[in-house]
Amino acid sequence: MKRVLVAVTATAAIVLLAVFLLSSSGQEYRWNIPEDIPSPLVPADNPMSDVKVELGRWLFYDVRLSVNGTMSCSNCHFQRIAFTDARARALGATGESHPRGSMSLVNTAYNARLTWANHLLDRLEVQALTPMFGENPVEMGMAGREAEIVELLRTDSRYREYFPEVFSMDEDPFSVLNTVRAIASFVRSIVSFDSPYDRFLQGDRAALTESEIRGMTLFFSEQTECFHCHGGFNFTDSSTHANALIESVGFHNNGLYNIGEHGGYPEGNTGLHDLTGKPRDMGRFKAPTLRNIAMTAPYMHDGSIATLDGVLEHYMQGGRIIDEGPHAGDGSRNPYKSVFVREFELTKSEREDLLAFLRALTDRTVLTDPVYSNPFSDPGLP
Amino acid sequence: MRRLLIPAFLATLISCSGRQENVEVQFDLQFDGQPINCDTETAPVRLTDLRFYVHNLRFVTTDQQEIPLNLVADGLWQNDRVALIDFENGEGACLNGSGVTNRIARGSYSGGPISGLAFDIGVPAEFNHADPLRAAPPLAYTEMHWHWASGYKFMRAGIETDNDSFFLHLGSSRCEGTIGDIQGCVSANRPQVRLTGFDPNVNTVVLDLDELVGAVNLHDGVRSECMSGPANNECREPFVVLGIDFDSGNMVGPASVFRVGKRE
Repeated sequence: MKRVLVAVTATAAIVLLAVFLLSSSGQEYRWNIPEDIPSPLVPADNPMSDVKVELGRWLFYDVRLSVNGTMSCSNCHFQRIAFTDARARALGATGESHPRGSMSLVNTAYNARLTWANHLLDRLEVQALTPMFGENPVEMGMAGREAEIVELLRTDSRYREYFPEVFSMDEDPFSVLNTVRAIASFVRSIVSFDSPYDRFLQGDRAALTESEIRGMTLFFSEQTECFHCHGGFNFTDSSTHANALIESVGFHNNGLYNIGEHGGYPEGNTGLHDLTGKPRDMGRFKAPTLRNIAMTAPYMHDGSIATLDGVLEHYMQGGRIIDEGPHAGDGSRNPYKSVFVREFELTKSEREDLLAFLRALTDRTVLTDPVYSNPFSDPGLP
Repeated sequence: MRRLLIPAFLATLISCSGRQENVEVQFDLQFDGQPINCDTETAPVRLTDLRFYVHNLRFVTTDQQEIPLNLVADGLWQNDRVALIDFENGEGACLNGSGVTNRIARGSYSGGPISGLAFDIGVPAEFNHADPLRAAPPLAYTEMHWHWASGYKFMRAGIETDNDSFFLHLGSSRCEGTIGDIQGCVSANRPQVRLTGFDPNVNTVVLDLDELVGAVNLHDGVRSECMSGPANNECREPFVVLGIDFDSGNMVGPASVFRVGKRE
């Protein structure tokens, strides 16, 4: 009898402890997404919480995380242009140019792979280390300066309060690991499902114009083939989510180059091939989300197409022809080109319809929502 | 004969009883037989960086047996499997460095007469492919991290002249999997070093910077970099002196940049 009592008491204690731990870790995080959209996948060791997202927002906008105090994450990711930077290629704190352009941070929580051409990178926590500590090129330039970051966290009055609160289980909450965890949580919180297209899907038939609806039909047609790579609710085939049984990972050669007619891409920017060395990976880059695509010019991994209309032109030709110079070649005949990139014709009005649909993927909410804005310049914030 | 047998017998006895002798392996950096560091201005080149990991250290006994040198974790320069050797001191031509150096790998071995040393450059796969977010020293230093590529820079080396420079980031490439869960790399790029005539009490391991410089084009005024990528042709010659076949990624011979030196 005594033994049973002990067991019951122990069980009750465990249950109480569990309840306490759950309640002390705060409420379950609420994603700002429509009901029919699945939740993003979140690493088990970095659960979302409102206060962590808030902390991550301060860190995301903090220029003290760069070697010369000139740049924060936000210098390559401006909210009003869907967290891109309007540059063909990103620019680091010390003036070094990145080979590729800054990608939009909208809906990255759903990305199976994070950057233009890296099959190895699937976690925002790890990705955040590259802009902070990368040396080739220098982005924020903090390589070897991790102690300075920890010192900032310990001495800044705001961080001194936030870190122990957010990472209350850690013996020492002030760490680079927790810094990237918080930044990753903020970036994960940037979700976009409030475009006219989304409202149309949710039953508001007036949300799209006739032209946009015709453009949508073209987009999802076998004629243009757009949706093969830019498909799914996030308009990219490199997507995953909490209900996905299998993650989808896609990298494609879209015929942007064909140097020497052997399929070559400019040196140092050959896509997945840079990492794998496999000929079949030449020119393979991730198809980015098309959400807010009208805001993120210039286009392609190297910003080499200035306008959205230019992008349509590129795909209508089934690749890009470069007549002269070091990059000369007929991209449409690139031997590694995706089978879905092939010549098609559109009338002038069809082309306008398709552009109109792409513009209807712009979500004003995510571009202006104060929860994603720079807290340092907003005095009304905590 | 008997005179030989007795020490051998004693050595066996000592190793059987599990007694370990403490030992240090010292690393030196030289150019043309002369010591060189970040402040050296008399050599034809200036050193801008040199750091590398060593692991799998073994002594070769006089009867050609390999016995392990077991590293002792110190929470700073080495854990019990891998040690960081760091010649860069943040001075002179070494910009943005760590300000501290380490030339010694410390550990213990089962004792007995030593005639050689073997070790590998780099970080063992189990650490190299583990989650970088949870790394502890000597793997916690961001300048040695290589998160987007595979794991760690096994070696970072830099040299410059008045109008040219070269930088090496050696690490595994052509990897599959995801960071924190890498399944393997075609090009492991872990150079193997094998030195004969090495006694840790008498000798040091010398990295001959002139061997590396000889493998690099420092004459065309165009800054060159080897970042270990499969398409990075500037790696071709430096990889030869590191004993790596650039195309296959196979280790094809001992790294000739290392030789035996003498303790002062």
